[in-house]
Amino acid sequence: MTQVLLPRALDELWDFLEEDPNTAVYSGGTDLLVNLRGGRINPSRLACLERIEEIRGVRDAGAAVFIGAATTHTHLLENSLVSSEFPVLTKAIRVLASPAIRNMGTIGGNIVNASPAGDTLPPLYALDAEVEIVSRKEAKRMPVSDFIVGPGRVRLGANEIVKGVWIRKAPEFNVRHFEKVGLRKSQACAVASLAAALSLSEGGKIERARLAWGSVGPTVVRSAEVEEALLGRELEIQMLAEVARLVERAVSPIDDVRASAQYRRIVAGRLLLRLAESGCKN
Amino acid sequence: MGEVRRHKRHSEGALHIGASTPRADAYAKVTGAEKFAADYYSSDMVWAGVKRGAAPHGVIKGIFTDEACKAPGVIAVLTHRDIRGSNRQGVVRKDQPVLADKKVRHCGDAVALVLAEDRETLLRALDLIRLDLEALPGVFDVEEALKDGAPLVHEDNAGGNTLLEAHIQTGDGLTAFERCDEVIEGRFETPWQEHAYLETEVGWAQQQNDGKVVIVASTQTPFRDRAEVAEAIGLDLEQVRVIAPYTGGAFGGKDGITVQTLLALAALHSNGRPVKMWWEREESFIAGTKRHPTRLYYRLGAKGDGVLHALAARLYFDTGPYDHLGGVVMTLALEHAGGAYRIPHALLDAWCVYTNNPIGGAFRAFGVTQVTAAMEQMMDMLAARLDMDPLELRLKNALTRGEKTCVGVTLTGSTGLVECLERVERHPLRTERYAWKAAAGPFKRRGVGIAALMHAAGYGTVVPDYANAKIELTPEGKIRIYCGVVDMGQGNASANAQIAGSILNQNMDSMELVLPDTDRTLPSGSASASRCTYTFGNALIGAAEILKNRILQKAADLLMAPSTDDLTLAPGKVVNRATGAQIPLSRLGRLMAESERTAISHFRAPVAKDRLDVTDELRLHGLGHAVISYGAHLAAVEVDEITGAVEVVSYLSATDCGRALNPQIYEQQIHGGICQGLGFALFEDFRVEQGTVKSPDLATYIIPTAPDTPNMESLPVELHEPTGPFGLKGVGEIATNGPAPAVANALADACGIRMFRLPMTPERVLLALRGRETR
Ligand SMILES: Cc1cc2nc3c(=O)[nH]c(=O)nc-3n(C[C@H](O)[C@H](O)[C@H](O)COP(=O)(O)OP(=O)(O)OC[C@H]3O[C@@H](n4cnc5c(N)ncnc54)[C@H](O)[C@@H]3O)c2cc1C
Repeated sequence: MTQVLLPRALDELWDFLEEDPNTAVYSGGTDLLVNLRGGRINPSRLACLERIEEIRGVRDAGAAVFIGAATTHTHLLENSLVSSEFPVLTKAIRVLASPAIRNMGTIGGNIVNASPAGDTLPPLYALDAEVEIVSRKEAKRMPVSDFIVGPGRVRLGANEIVKGVWIRKAPEFNVRHFEKVGLRKSQACAVASLAAALSLSEGGKIERARLAWGSVGPTVVRSAEVEEALLGRELEIQMLAEVARLVERAVSPIDDVRASAQYRRIVAGRLLLRLAESGCKN
Repeated sequence: MGEVRRHKRHSEGALHIGASTPRADAYAKVTGAEKFAADYYSSDMVWAGVKRGAAPHGVIKGIFTDEACKAPGVIAVLTHRDIRGSNRQGVVRKDQPVLADKKVRHCGDAVALVLAEDRETLLRALDLIRLDLEALPGVFDVEEALKDGAPLVHEDNAGGNTLLEAHIQTGDGLTAFERCDEVIEGRFETPWQEHAYLETEVGWAQQQNDGKVVIVASTQTPFRDRAEVAEAIGLDLEQVRVIAPYTGGAFGGKDGITVQTLLALAALHSNGRPVKMWWEREESFIAGTKRHPTRLYYRLGAKGDGVLHALAARLYFDTGPYDHLGGVVMTLALEHAGGAYRIPHALLDAWCVYTNNPIGGAFRAFGVTQVTAAMEQMMDMLAARLDMDPLELRLKNALTRGEKTCVGVTLTGSTGLVECLERVERHPLRTERYAWKAAAGPFKRRGVGIAALMHAAGYGTVVPDYANAKIELTPEGKIRIYCGVVDMGQGNASANAQIAGSILNQNMDSMELVLPDTDRTLPSGSASASRCTYTFGNALIGAAEILKNRILQKAADLLMAPSTDDLTLAPGKVVNRATGAQIPLSRLGRLMAESERTAISHFRAPVAKDRLDVTDELRLHGLGHAVISYGAHLAAVEVDEITGAVEVVSYLSATDCGRALNPQIYEQQIHGGICQGLGFALFEDFRVEQGTVKSPDLATYIIPTAPDTPNMESLPVELHEPTGPFGLKGVGEIATNGPAPAVANALADACGIRMFRLPMTPERVLLALRGRETR
């Protein structure tokens, strides 16, 4: 039997965490409970974050949007601010797990779990999102790409939690694309994924490009070389196929039970081709 | 225990054959009221669990249980030394120990049985057991296993690692290839398939004061289980009672012993307390049976006009370390190896082989899925070579009633393959296929493929395929059916109510079902082999007719009618049409003696009468069936050239399974079969390396989800089967056989690649597409 604590405010949470440093926090539990059952973690008790109002919901902060860590995927899917400002994130969440898991799972859990296959991560990397970390004494922000250091490894100290993510609005991006390659249409762990935000000029030339790949390295992959190679070009198949070669070199996938490194590498590159369909449109 | 299922919430009106009556089990299952084996708990219950060897092959040097025994909350720790019986189980060959004694032969072998106060204690105790195993070299490949010097799985088996082999020659055998204009060859590999039922292997057992052990188990085979349990642990048959509730899925994975013997053994050591065992998902994956993986070598020869002339096939089945049903599965596959085609000359060889891999066993469609995947791709390869339409090629060679299959079995029953193919031929998915294919979007290729199917029902020539139906008019005036065959979800219990209800002109509210129970219902064989409603239904018709006559006779006596001529059964009563007089069934039920208001009838299924030139052993394993269903499937697929993903967009099936007693249940069977077949075709890749399972759970073993499932249309082709109850044939398995070849053929149609290995995962497809580009 494990004790489960249900704090209603951050102050209450800090008390719990200080009382017993072996207390694990969780939100939806959709990663934590799997690890608990598998015997990979052994906390003395659990503190649930989902009732803490300060870290839930989506807030418009003018130039940026704040998403509370304990906001569920379902909530984000239904949020019009998120879908209008960050459609690439919405597209990713739409194919994350299944309705039941999206009802429970949260964006904060997805970030802290730091799986290379976490579906919100490529969009958050492509959007240059920042993670806000809080403890009883301080609050700080860092880019998501600094926060996540490896599979399942994040820069989070004792008695710190993720409060949420900050994403700057970026209306200049007019192509927002996400594709996940999984082994089925629902409940599929990504074998490779691509999030892309591009600005196309009137004439169809790429002016800005931010791309991020999931599941093809220990953390989400971004490549300055690839992004630069796209600048000034038009979204046509020949060019994308050439750049795909660069992608194959930029990623560092592994073989596992779901797919070989070879397949992940090829597909990471080929996913670019789909951008040709976007042409000048969103 | 021993409840009777009553059915409320059904519309009024007597039951009819051919009506889509809601299933009798629907309401209780949807509301969660239905009690599955997994739902049996009691207050003083003991949890039982198994320590598994976790090595593919090794000699057991020692089993150290002291620490586990001493752990608080542990009631008993048992090993093979605690078993008084044969300690062997199996259906045909009893080669599987209940608890391993000398060796472990695969990773899932049970070595010790622990009884504990609760589940946590049980898990801790299992960890405390230490095994001293001396590793032996393992054998993991069917063809390697047959070579001289291969490690032996059973040292005492006369055939080495061969469990069963078979050779059938018809016509001129191989020499007929000399007279063929075209010869096509293919080597196919099919993987294990895991049943992945919602309800993993589970049961509950208790020894009563009189010494009898009562077992409630999720099983397809209560009567066979009883005999196996008794023999393995040294009890008399009468000392074992097996009760089989509706299962939470079975699909062949519960066609035989899973937890039953272990539970009974535990119940002998729990001081009379009830015992429960429930395998975890991972345990089910490792220890449960799977569809046999196969390697299939095919050679098919035809004349220039597409008339099939010769077939040669070598079939290898990997049964793992135990027979389970391996020999029988292989034999059914052999009988279907050439499909429903006229092939005058054939040489078919098959081997069922012991290895140190997971246990192969029954899985919906029982070996036929594997050979159909190969043969139906061969047909398309031949059509391509001849530049013929694949459907036309099949029509040209399709067997009709009175003709012989390539193993020499004469088709004596209704034979509707041609009708099925014609239904598909006229369907818009086929007639409009060119336009649909041309409309594919960027990076998409579309293709349409078909497959022709046959699937025989029942046990074959030697093992009697019989059922004993019992029906009763209760003192309350209800009709109680004692179902002898398990309903594992396919709806045969409902079909029983519909059959008896229609004969006795009663509505669903009057029907009561007693589910299989070795103390209450009569032996009627297993829930398997597409036989359940065919065999039991035939027996039930006999019993219901007897009861009907008895009821009418009694009513005539009571109403002082000169004969039964004017009497008719109506819902809840008997009516005299001449006088208008009525008598309620409840009154009749009270006035009739038990022996009068109970009727029993026996039915034994017909078998093939051909004198086949095969060994007695092969006949014992089932060769030669008489009742056969047919089908034609069409898959319309879209292939993504960027990822290699194959999406099945639409799926059509036409099935000759005789009369559809209940169109809704018929459709559910077809849909379920197609979904499992699509899993086999595209998704399910059970990985085993050197005997170790590498896809240990549902996160790594990918089964299709609802969005992966296409629109499915299932057309019944209702040819009347003269021997079937109301003209019915089996429908439970056939649909599983279509998707692999239909999708493979559609994939070839879409982009010219042929997949000789299942499943056709995006990775394999993409690599094949690239291979084609660079060639
Ligand atoms: C069946 C199934 C399918 C899945 N499919 C997908 C999928 O398709 N794509 C995908 O990306 N993921 C998938 N997941 C994983 C999971 O659902 C997601 O990662 C989800 O976003 C996790 O959120 P959660 O709130 O449930 O996390 P939890 O399990 O509550 O927490 C996960 C980890 O993060 C920590 N944590 C949570 N919130 C905070 C916080 N605010 N501050 C600090 N630490 C915190 C916890 O301590 C824990 O270590 C799947 C999971 C399951 C069970």
